[in-house]
Amino acid sequence: MFYLSLIEHTLRLPPHLLSLPLNEAIRGELEGLFVDKVIANLGLGISIYDIRSIDGGFIYPSEGASTYTVKFRLVVFRPFVGEVITARLKESNAEGLRLSLGFFDDIYVPAPLMPVPSRSEPDPENKNQVRWIWMFDEQEYPIDGVDEIRFQVHNVSYPSIPLEQDKDSKPFAPMVIKGSLDADGLGPISWWI
Amino acid sequence: MKILEANAAALTNFEVLDFLRSRGAGRDPTRVIVPVAPSEFKVYEFLEQTAACNQTRQSIDEYLGKCKSIKLAKAEILNIINIRPSSLVELYPIIEEYDNRFGEAAETMEDFVESVVQLLPPPPNQMESEQGTAKDQTEAPDCKV
Repeated sequence: MFYLSLIEHTLRLPPHLLSLPLNEAIRGELEGLFVDKVIANLGLGISIYDIRSIDGGFIYPSEGASTYTVKFRLVVFRPFVGEVITARLKESNAEGLRLSLGFFDDIYVPAPLMPVPSRSEPDPENKNQVRWIWMFDEQEYPIDGVDEIRFQVHNVSYPSIPLEQDKDSKPFAPMVIKGSLDADGLGPISWWI
Repeated sequence: MKILEANAAALTNFEVLDFLRSRGAGRDPTRVIVPVAPSEFKVYEFLEQTAACNQTRQSIDEYLGKCKSIKLAKAEILNIINIRPSSLVELYPIIEEYDNRFGEAAETMEDFVESVVQLLPPPPNQMESEQGTAKDQTEAPDCKV
């Protein structure tokens, strides 16, 4: 789920940070650039793990700031295909489920990857939502928001930024995880214990 | 920005939680004094709800020793630490091609799950249910047809 990635970055250190120790100043700048941001094909930056080296410090002509080349390690969130992760239910509609990890919300379980056979019925409490029900042995197992839900990662995609966006479309997400519930041991935890 | 090594190392949930704790998350109830970003607190909150919150380096080391007897891929070993399965059926999705690889070794796998339950502490919300309601276990479906 979490990985360390070694990254090299050249950054300009604004002069108002000169009062801080170099390490701290650079760390702060890196946090602003990489923490809580998705890097395409790498994953979601969680935290700066450590700074390996700081080189340079050149002041280029007509610039009032020094430029450093930093090598550092970043903790990234990047689930691998086939990984099993526990999440909470965020939305449930006719197209499938949307799950959330708290810090990452763009996990979708489309209808074809729901447990087979399953059906959906309108949710009595919320008219915009539906409730998915897995039918097994003539018993019904509903997916409600009470339990944590285990899903298996089906794929992870990094859509490129759209040039034009419709007004009523979903907000753009730079990293989308497609999950599957269609295997033994997946779904709400209470189904299995 | 240049990515030198996309995959320098894989981390377990426990290691990330340990790192965030060492930065001071969890010690500061106001969440303002320690230099931890709000997004990092969200990760910390998520990890506190998982099995990682009671794990220790020692318990994971013991578990890794146990894993040597079974041929598991690194990713599977890691996933088991993060999920901490408490029954055989929870192991099925984690292990790829379970039936081909371990379908005949049901007893060894049961022993393995038992040792996982013993070595790794349960996640916080599962604590009560594991102690009390043994009756419910028989009612849950064992396997799909």
